Amino acid sequence: MHTMTPTIPLTLAASWISERVDAAKDDERTLDQFLKGIERRALRMAELATANRDEALDLVQDAMFGFVRHYATKPADEWSPLFYRVLDSRLNDWHRRRHVRSRWLAVFTRDPEDDETDEIAQAPDVNDPGPLLRLAGGEAARDLDAALGRLPLRQRQAFLLRVWEGFDVAATANAMRCSEGSVKTHLSRALTALRRALEDHA
Amino acid sequence: MNELDKDSWAGRARTLLDESAEGLDAATLSRLNRARQIALAQARPRAAQRWFLPAGLASACVLLLAVAVWHWQVPSGAARLPELPFAASASAAGSDIDLVSGDDNLELYQDLEFYAWLDAQDQGSDG
Repeated sequence: MHTMTPTIPLTLAASWISERVDAAKDDERTLDQFLKGIERRALRMAELATANRDEALDLVQDAMFGFVRHYATKPADEWSPLFYRVLDSRLNDWHRRRHVRSRWLAVFTRDPEDDETDEIAQAPDVNDPGPLLRLAGGEAARDLDAALGRLPLRQRQAFLLRVWEGFDVAATANAMRCSEGSVKTHLSRALTALRRALEDHA
Repeated sequence: MNELDKDSWAGRARTLLDESAEGLDAATLSRLNRARQIALAQARPRAAQRWFLPAGLASACVLLLAVAVWHWQVPSGAARLPELPFAASASAAGSDIDLVSGDDNLELYQDLEFYAWLDAQDQGSDG
């Protein structure tokens, strides 16, 4: 009789711990599915920013690491903007480092393309249905990649998050840590620049 | 969204980007998978640690409850020692000194058995 009484709370405690362990496994599965669903687009986004797949992979891994560390306990429906917020931060850091490095390198090197501007190619055709519609798949993808790669980081992020990820303005602003007005400005400039750039390549 | 609707080619751009993401090679996908597993692995110890404190507290409470229940049930049949008079039962260290130094208390100490018997008699007459 004396030994039976304490076993009831012990059993309850064991059951509670077991339930928590199962819940933690479910959380990890959900997190895994989320990252699996987003990793390819994240890689492409990083690749467009860095033009280097290895560096893009490092950045995505770093973003995953930071996201899991800081935001994994947030509700799952908030994960997507938060993940891109971390990735955007990593891309900004990378861009800043590269900018500093390139300023030093610029002292010793000179880009020959700086002197070459094709005025005719830059003239827009108002009757054109759309630059990408004229191109075959492979060529269009390459031109789009090149055009996106030439965009400033913030404009490219605004375009990718709004157009590709389908975020609304508020979610994009949250991911980019800027105002909604800034998102609209970046997107407008990105669309103009892309249209012009893709028309040039058609 | 109006601006995006106006640029219908944006839909085509979306399709091309989707295709490029779907067309990643196996080596890249493998590296992505590894990166994901590394990221998830760092969450595991933290998830476990998150339950250490409540689990430890729960275990401590259960243990405390078990000890309390055991102590509550055990003394019911045990014989009780007779209570000492106030001067003898004081627990402070000073009371020991009083016992040794005071003549009355030394006498009381020598008659301890008598007082215990007297107490037992009193309890018998009460009950």
